[in-house]
Amino acid sequence: MKRVALTVNGRRVEAEVEPRTSLADYLREREGLTGTNLGCEHGVCGACTLEIDGAPARSCITFAVACEGASVRTIEGFADDPVMEALRQAFTAEHALQCGYCTPGMLVTARDIVTRLPDADAARIRLELSGNLCRCTGYVGIVNAIQVVLKDRGTGGASR
Amino acid sequence: MTNKGVGARLPRKEDRRFLRGEAEYVANLRLPGMLDVAFVRSPMAHAVLGKIIKPRGNEDRVFTAQDLTGVRPIRAVSALKGFKVSEQPVLAHGKVRQVGELIAMCVAPTRAQAEDLADEVELELKELPAVVDMVQARTNPQALVHEHWGDNVFLESLVDDDIASIETKARVKVRRTIRTARQHMSPLEGRGVVCEWHKRLDQLVMHSATQMPHLNRAGLAECLGIDQGAIRVIAPDVGGGFGYKGILLPEEVCLAWLCRKLGRPVRWIEDRREQLSAGANCREHHYDITLYADDRGRLLAIDCEATVDSGAYSSYPFSACLEAAQVSSILPGPYKMERYRCRTWSVATNKAPILPYRGVARTGVCFALELMIDAVARELGMEPHEVRLANLVQPSEMPYDNITKKHFDSGDYPQAVRRAAAMIDVAAIRKLQAQSSAQEPRRIGVGFAIYCEQAAHGTSVYHGWGIPMVPGHEQCSARLTPDGVLELRIGAHSHGQGMETTLAQVAHTVLGIDPQNVRLVHGDTGLTPYSTGTWGSRCMVMSGGAVAAACEVIGTRVKAIAAKLLEVSAADIHLEAGDARVSGTDRGMSLADVAHVWYRKPQLLPVDIDPAGLEATAGYKANVDTGTFSYACHAAKVAVDIETGHVEILDYVVVEDGGTLVNPMIVDGQIYGGAAQGIGTALYEEMPFDEQGQPLATTLADYLLPSATEVPSIRIDHLETPSPYTRFGQKGIGEGGAIAPPAAIANAVNDALAAFGVEINESPLTPRRIVEALARAGR
Amino acid sequence: MKACAFEYERPRDVSDALKVLSSEGAKVAAGMQSLGPMLNLRVVQPRLLVDIRRLEELRTIREEGDTLALGACVTHAEIEDGRVPGATGAFLQKVASRIAYRAVRNRGTIGGSLAHADPAADWPSALALLGGIAIVAGPSGRREIPLERFVTGLFSTDLASDEIVVLLKLQKLGAKARFGWWKFCRKAGEFAQAIGGVLEDRERGVARAVIGATAGAPFVEAGNRRLFEKPDLDQCLAAADKAGLGADLYSRRLHAVALQRAIAEAQRR
Repeated sequence: MKRVALTVNGRRVEAEVEPRTSLADYLREREGLTGTNLGCEHGVCGACTLEIDGAPARSCITFAVACEGASVRTIEGFADDPVMEALRQAFTAEHALQCGYCTPGMLVTARDIVTRLPDADAARIRLELSGNLCRCTGYVGIVNAIQVVLKDRGTGGASR
Repeated sequence: MTNKGVGARLPRKEDRRFLRGEAEYVANLRLPGMLDVAFVRSPMAHAVLGKIIKPRGNEDRVFTAQDLTGVRPIRAVSALKGFKVSEQPVLAHGKVRQVGELIAMCVAPTRAQAEDLADEVELELKELPAVVDMVQARTNPQALVHEHWGDNVFLESLVDDDIASIETKARVKVRRTIRTARQHMSPLEGRGVVCEWHKRLDQLVMHSATQMPHLNRAGLAECLGIDQGAIRVIAPDVGGGFGYKGILLPEEVCLAWLCRKLGRPVRWIEDRREQLSAGANCREHHYDITLYADDRGRLLAIDCEATVDSGAYSSYPFSACLEAAQVSSILPGPYKMERYRCRTWSVATNKAPILPYRGVARTGVCFALELMIDAVARELGMEPHEVRLANLVQPSEMPYDNITKKHFDSGDYPQAVRRAAAMIDVAAIRKLQAQSSAQEPRRIGVGFAIYCEQAAHGTSVYHGWGIPMVPGHEQCSARLTPDGVLELRIGAHSHGQGMETTLAQVAHTVLGIDPQNVRLVHGDTGLTPYSTGTWGSRCMVMSGGAVAAACEVIGTRVKAIAAKLLEVSAADIHLEAGDARVSGTDRGMSLADVAHVWYRKPQLLPVDIDPAGLEATAGYKANVDTGTFSYACHAAKVAVDIETGHVEILDYVVVEDGGTLVNPMIVDGQIYGGAAQGIGTALYEEMPFDEQGQPLATTLADYLLPSATEVPSIRIDHLETPSPYTRFGQKGIGEGGAIAPPAAIANAVNDALAAFGVEINESPLTPRRIVEALARAGR
Repeated sequence: MKACAFEYERPRDVSDALKVLSSEGAKVAAGMQSLGPMLNLRVVQPRLLVDIRRLEELRTIREEGDTLALGACVTHAEIEDGRVPGATGAFLQKVASRIAYRAVRNRGTIGGSLAHADPAADWPSALALLGGIAIVAGPSGRREIPLERFVTGLFSTDLASDEIVVLLKLQKLGAKARFGWWKFCRKAGEFAQAIGGVLEDRERGVARAVIGATAGAPFVEAGNRRLFEKPDLDQCLAAADKAGLGADLYSRRLHAVALQRAIAEAQRR
């Protein structure tokens, strides 16, 4: 067992973990943060995507012990984030989710796109989304939702 | 006033929890004292299973078939004559018949520790020749999957007809061998079970990511030898199904037994490698098909021998021969013809038991038939969409009983083709093709596919297919609570279809209640009426019809109460915007007011009010057992890079007719999602097996699921011809998107490569297959 | 899919890391974007992981005269975001931006990718094309390994199991250098099926081509001017044959086309 201290959704936590425990499993099983989903545990499907130190990362192939001092933000940690709120509204308006399993990871990646790539066109959006698999929506609603938020931000909208 | 009922593009109520990470998938459940399970699975496809040696010191944490005394094997017996029965032991003994078959169950405080235990279990296995190729398995088997059968055929069927007389008069005879690869449905959430034996209720309580909790309950009762009332199955939030979760799992039976034995809750969550290596179970068909036509492209006859690779066992509840049985009856598609002969085989192989994946046999059938239509077109030098127009059932002929006695309810099939041809702009594509130089590595092509999809079929159809569990009527229990909220209870369940919203829309149309004031309880055998579940595009028709019926009963009673209180006759009351109003006046009262009187002031009720009150269970039965026929024409424009074999979809259009659309936004979503899966089938997804029956694509690095870069922007156009047979004229549409894309895309690729004399008749159309085909043709 | 149990150490510096690495069953870990899946699949079962991801010495990006020095644990995302200056930086940026997905690029490191030596990955081929040296540290000190000889085969390198890649020293490209990089993936972000890369820097007399995503080490050809002057398919097929790809029709064709398209791209610059 190893001791690790990190910040999760703004709250400092300290825990004793087996080194082999993934960040995803640590958050889900020990911190009760079940919003982050596991879809493959080999870094391809993107369902487990969350933010580590402000950048999207795969929590299924990141080990909790490797996150000493890191600031982790899960989907639950974006409850009050205005950019995420704009994305949530757009996702509903554009029907960007059906079963919802890919949605938390998809939202984290979507937020990265709208904040890091303000000029992204549809092709670029699709490329940036290629690491988040969805089996239900065919991606149409997701791409539309991201475009809506980009446009709104581009015109100085509320989600800025 | 915005429409919030049938026909409205109402945003989904259920989104809220999914967007905030508050959904409750089975892996999110935490029961006190819960233990984790990992399975030891067969590393071989076909082998004699000898000793199983448990890890020293941990024998009491590992369970094999020997330990599961009293647990019966899974049996799904088709009623069709000649069906050969196979029993699937929940834990293997004697023999293993597929890679991934369950051999032992290991339990530990964490999944990681359970996997450690599983790694320590030693197996004695003597490998047998694997039965991998379905045609060889039938014609020249190297081994038998079930020795007591004498062959590898679950079932053979024949729809016979006189083809000989057609052969002599047909101007065109086109014969092809067409194959579709085995696939994995790959919902993003895998299967999973959490269960405990509830002491107070003396009942097994199982949470399972399932599409059909009542059928899981029935299967569990059979295997465990307990009555169904002693079992409660709850489907929580389910992360996609597509048919993958329409099954009684051996894992479910094992965990049900285990939790009672240990007196503690237990959990098994399927991981992706288990899923891919043990669960590739669908879409693998082989067709030897001949089309006969006259010189105007009119179909005279279809003659077909079709084989379906059904895997090692007959899965519960659909059985091993649903898909092959379907092939016979739906191969003719939406076309007219004079003769039709079809022989099918459901063949046993050393692979996962077949399950019906979205579209079921229709995807394979559409692939085979639509590729043949294009082959006929090339033979005659006709435009492929013109050949279709020459053969489709005409709108003036509706309703139409086709050559296999399918009763097409309504629709304009030719219009769908004409619109699709216009949207994809065939003329412009032909111009482009004419202008392109021979050196250009990018070749453009266009392809079509049309299908009609039978859905929400009733009892006699399923009975005719010999399905072990035959769906009958569908019920809904509706209740108006004391504060005027409507609770709807149905046995079907959502795994993405948005029923919490669409059924609230139905309630709004019947009762006028705001969808925000409607609460759906679904997929729980302890709380909801019986249902065979969510599959076969049946819910909007069946559950929707049941919801409407139950709401009508409630509505009648509400009107009676309101009439008494407002001192008018019930006929003067109409329900609108959450109120009961006196027509032609501004007098009225809210549903909440009416409910309040029922519950709290019964002294004010009419004397003759039905004492069953504001609670009603009502049912729905399909008017016509043949159900509804939605249909669509898909058209694809592709660019094939002949140097690399890469296929890019430049444009993709869908002209579809689902009758009355309850929520057009959700219908579009189903089409987009289905089409994305169809694109996966067409270009990316296959589970290859080696000669020893080893699945070769056991991670997502090898089993390629389409991402946002592989799925183009899809354009949809709707025709809306209501079904005369359903409550609102709605038709089942959930599967359609996944039916046509493989055919449309293959036809487009073949159109692009026609100049080289290349025709590909196999899915997926991988770059390798395209380059090799071009090389064989001398390019 | 849970990993086998392992121990974990996070050393303070490179010499500390080397000490820990010298023990039995110890393995270096950095971004873990390749190692993580392998651990979860249980295809590797190390006793101890030595996490060097955040060692300062390994995260440097600096210019040293006519070379660029890149710490082994610089991430693909940092390179994608333009943190490496000049023409070389532009080439590296182009390669980095197409590695896997952004979430993977945020953690994965250039040194880690090189040391892992998956033929279908980008850095082994790109760095072999660029040329330069890898400085590795081991129990008996530091040594230099030329980049075009670093990868020796399928998941095999010249690196010993008790050595760590510390720094990559890359020759700076001249402002007029032209490069082309073309890889074929069936879907965006997945491992390449074929890689073609070319580099022409007349100022320094460099004309190199690489064929990557082979069954083993990337194939580098230097000084073949004809390839650049006349990038026809036959030339490229000949190169593919030299790279050992002659046996399979599709693979041979794909690699040749990758090279041809890389050359065409370089010539458009």
